[in-house]
Amino acid sequence: MPMIEVKNIQKTYNGRTVVNIPELVIRPGETLGLVGNNGAGKTTLFRMILDLIRPSKGEVFSKGVNVALHEDWKEYTGSHLDEGFLIDYLTPEEYFKFIGDLHHLSAGDVAERLAPFLDFFNGEILNQKKYIRDFSKGNQKKVGVAAAALANPEILILDEPFANLDPTSQIRLKNLLKFLREQKEMTLLISSHDLSHVIEVCARIVILEKGEIVQDMETTENTLQALEAYFTV
Amino acid sequence: MFTTLLAHQWKESRRSSVFQKSVAVNIILGFFIVYFLLSFLVLGFFIDDLLRQVYPDQNPVTAFNGFLLYFFLVDLFMRFMLQDLPVLAIQPYLHLPVKKSRLIHYVLSKSVPSIFNFWSLLILVPFLVKMLVPAYGTGIAAIWLLAVMLLIFLNNFVLIYFKRQLSSNPKLTLAFGIVVLGLMLADYFDLLSLRIASAAAFGFLLAHPWAVLLPALLLAGVYKLNYSFLLAHTYPEEMAVKQNKSAAGTDIAFLNRFGETGKLIALELKLIWRHKRSKSVVFMSLLILAYGFIFYPNKLYQEGFGMLIFVGIMMTGMFMFNYGQFIPSWQSGHFDALLTRRISPYQFYLAKFWFFVPASLAAFLVTLPYAYFGWKVVLINLAAFLFNIGVNVFVVFYFSVLNTSRIDLSKSSAFNWQGVGASKFVMMLPLILLPLLIYAPFGFLGIPYWGIFTIGLLGVAGFALYKQILKRVAKRFLANKYKIATGFRQ
Repeated sequence: MPMIEVKNIQKTYNGRTVVNIPELVIRPGETLGLVGNNGAGKTTLFRMILDLIRPSKGEVFSKGVNVALHEDWKEYTGSHLDEGFLIDYLTPEEYFKFIGDLHHLSAGDVAERLAPFLDFFNGEILNQKKYIRDFSKGNQKKVGVAAAALANPEILILDEPFANLDPTSQIRLKNLLKFLREQKEMTLLISSHDLSHVIEVCARIVILEKGEIVQDMETTENTLQALEAYFTV
Repeated sequence: MFTTLLAHQWKESRRSSVFQKSVAVNIILGFFIVYFLLSFLVLGFFIDDLLRQVYPDQNPVTAFNGFLLYFFLVDLFMRFMLQDLPVLAIQPYLHLPVKKSRLIHYVLSKSVPSIFNFWSLLILVPFLVKMLVPAYGTGIAAIWLLAVMLLIFLNNFVLIYFKRQLSSNPKLTLAFGIVVLGLMLADYFDLLSLRIASAAAFGFLLAHPWAVLLPALLLAGVYKLNYSFLLAHTYPEEMAVKQNKSAAGTDIAFLNRFGETGKLIALELKLIWRHKRSKSVVFMSLLILAYGFIFYPNKLYQEGFGMLIFVGIMMTGMFMFNYGQFIPSWQSGHFDALLTRRISPYQFYLAKFWFFVPASLAAFLVTLPYAYFGWKVVLINLAAFLFNIGVNVFVVFYFSVLNTSRIDLSKSSAFNWQGVGASKFVMMLPLILLPLLIYAPFGFLGIPYWGIFTIGLLGVAGFALYKQILKRVAKRFLANKYKIATGFRQ
């Protein structure tokens, strides 16, 4: 059974279609990178997959269940799109504990799950005695990504995870995502503007343009060139 | 889960920037709150005497009941203007494994423990103890209170439903206010009396306590309505109060004639019209123009000078004081952008200066019809206007460099204390005291008109020297700009 199945989905704002995808299937364990220019509809698609926007037409199924009708998908889906996903008046510790509680994780479990992230955090997240809202954008992103992966979800959805991060953190995040993919067999759905990062992490690349899928390909050694050729206008 | 959400709510309010403002503001705010609450409490204790005086032929309980319906209508109107349900607060939970139904129950019940729902107890309870308990016994009195409270909660949920349905259209709110006012006038002229209906309904309740079931059922119904509506619309873009946004680029051609200064003024005007908080500053300042009606008809103030000077300064300068007290915080969101552009501090303040002068002039012109109360009023207002544009404007600028707190313009303005610091209150003092101090010696010597003349003359002198003074202001700004910019980035 597919992990995510998008069927005939459309979103229109004031007569302007921003997303129009007849079909997109993501199988369990697959790693899909979504690329496209600004306004291509990446985030809108993510929001519809996460039932945060009501599609104008069509449905999204998670393990065969319509996400708009049942909430079961929330148990095995981890996501971070933007700062709106964070409860920003909590400290990172409080936020992680809260997410842990939702998944019935003990304090020890949470600490253990965070262990692989400590490098990524670079000592700037935990024990800072600061609220999330007072962190920089990059550090907020680190909190969001860690919180999304905390529950060992079966599918992890991240919007622009590399944006706002320093080069070291980008590389660490790349290794983290590979670790999650290989060790935990997580399904990954990632959007990025960074072509080289995304092809390194994802085995499948989908190009979105003006809300429509224009290419859907397996990653090979020629993918980067193909992508660069595509985006060179 | 529910307790966790409540704990989060508690953290949110305790950690909100409202509580992190200075001690001085907290004390002043606290003082105002206590003052208002005490006023209501006193009103509650003496309302029966008041009613007996106004309606000597009526039982105070009947008279009180007669006003309840109006109370609910006015309450609803006030809520339309001030209250909102922060449903978006559940946005960070939507992608987490928390049941939507639970989030909605939470967000709805969160609206109940609000000052809007409970302040009226300060009037109701003393009245209940004093009048209802002796007349009807504790049981019936308690039922009466329960019914009133249920109706207040009903208002709470009716508002939440309609505000979400009808969008926060200010015209509709205004129309509703006019209807309520019309009903009151109709009552006053004995055309249609809602008071009789209200008294009859609550009289019925006192005679038949089971009638309390009616408001209870209504409340349950409206709660259910809200619940179903929100459950069907748990999407952030649908939950937010609808706003019809269509941004139209405007060009104020007239201002282009004034070069750089004109462009900066145009920018300032756009900033004002495109943000709620700044707009409300304008409306508040317009309201102040009616200040004269409170003071001028009063013989006591008419004969003196001090009070009239105060009124004149306030009326012709209120916009400048209100808006100016947040310079340069209005630009806090894009302050770094301003600093990195080719705009000198002198230019910046020059634009503000030429922005305030016409605003004060307009205010002065609007106050001209107060000549009805005598030419003395006009003379004093003229002196006050000159003083505002020649002296007070620079006092405002002088204090502006102390503003290092950021203002989030997108937040609404009612009860918004963001950016308000102790310096604001300190600043208001010289603005008002200075002209009074200048006038005082002349007043004592018995030559008051010389005092008025001196106030005006000082204004003219300051105005004539504006370039020199603005240069000093700009210098002071330069010396403080890093501090200001750092403050705004937080």
